[in-house]
Amino acid sequence: MRRLLILPLLFGILSADSGILDIKWPKPNAKHLKPSTPYPKVLTEGIKDVRLPVYIPNSYAYIKNMVVIADKNFYTISFPFKGATVTISGDRTYQESVSNKQEFKAILKAIPPVTFQQEEGIMTAEFNRHGVNYSMEIECDKPQRDKRCTDTKLIKELYSRLIMVGGHP
Amino acid sequence: MRTLLIIPFILFFSACTQEQPKPNKPLTEEEKKFTFSPAGQLVPAKSGQGRNGDNYIYAPGIRFPIESAPAYLNSQVYGIGGLYGARGSLCNEKNYQYPWHDNYCEKRRWGMPLCSGGKGHQGVDIRTATCEKNKYYAVAVEDGIITYIGKYTVKLRGKSGRTYRYLHLDSPSVLVKKGEKVNRGDRLGLVSNNMGSTKTSIHLHFDIKETIKINGKSTKVYVPPYTSLVDAYKRLLRGNP
Ligand SMILES: [Zn+2]
Repeated sequence: MRRLLILPLLFGILSADSGILDIKWPKPNAKHLKPSTPYPKVLTEGIKDVRLPVYIPNSYAYIKNMVVIADKNFYTISFPFKGATVTISGDRTYQESVSNKQEFKAILKAIPPVTFQQEEGIMTAEFNRHGVNYSMEIECDKPQRDKRCTDTKLIKELYSRLIMVGGHP
Repeated sequence: MRTLLIIPFILFFSACTQEQPKPNKPLTEEEKKFTFSPAGQLVPAKSGQGRNGDNYIYAPGIRFPIESAPAYLNSQVYGIGGLYGARGSLCNEKNYQYPWHDNYCEKRRWGMPLCSGGKGHQGVDIRTATCEKNKYYAVAVEDGIITYIGKYTVKLRGKSGRTYRYLHLDSPSVLVKKGEKVNRGDRLGLVSNNMGSTKTSIHLHFDIKETIKINGKSTKVYVPPYTSLVDAYKRLLRGNP
């Protein structure tokens, strides 16, 4: 009996304050969405159900050993390189419950549109586009010595070269 | 939407009233021993300014991220043998004692919008029962999918949309693959001191990232995990993780 009772409680807990973000869809760039050389299947198949704009750095679009994990509300694409992995993800799910709405409102106001920093040895970029939140991360085998993880140069460059390669309303 | 969400609660509460309360199981020895300092109260005080008074449970109902108790949530950096801690061994028994001490927002160089001063530790550090690496399993806190496995990172995206990050697991011991669906409580890998080529102390760094939305604006932040973990640990000790 008790087990049965846990189900509605868990359902309530997991869905009570979560939702799906609205997207202000960007004007698609036909060249990026349908390039003359088609993107590898791993990418096109992996993101076919995604219902948010899918961004990746343009120079990574043809990397065949990329790993794509996605469903309709999020995607994570990892690009493995020697000694480091670059990952980009976007997510439409949100939570609305916080301890103090006023405080969180102020925090939201103060957050810059994009941040670049190293945390726990991982170089990160956080940004919001079209109402969706995205993260890009570089994790290095040698986090304290590898410039890709100690210097913001690469992540800034990758950020400046993001293109939308898929996703649909 | 909201009215629909009330239904499970009504079902739950009405069913509860029909059930006769069972006599409470007596407290176990570990439950009697377990104590924890308040959320946001960092120890030692010089280790930073936590979110005092924020007792909100940001990830309700999660399972404790280490399979078995006891586990000790306290500072690695400011604990005995830590970079800024008292001299001594990282394995000093005082590091393996209750009470727990919150270390979310502990001093760090990187930006953290929810910490006073805008910088701090984005999660909490947890020691396993004993100072032995590769002995205790980290487990999934929620049903979900493994979205990333790095040199020293495992990420789980829960069904709730929250992302849970487990750092410093022993790479060869990781039992899951990218894209694998996991259930709450499934083993992920062994807690270790792995941080790529740099070794850290034996502990699990655990953090929770979620998108918060207020008045139509959203951002992704690391939310305080301490209260959710106290709650989860109590359930683990009760035998009902
Ligand atoms: Zn940590």
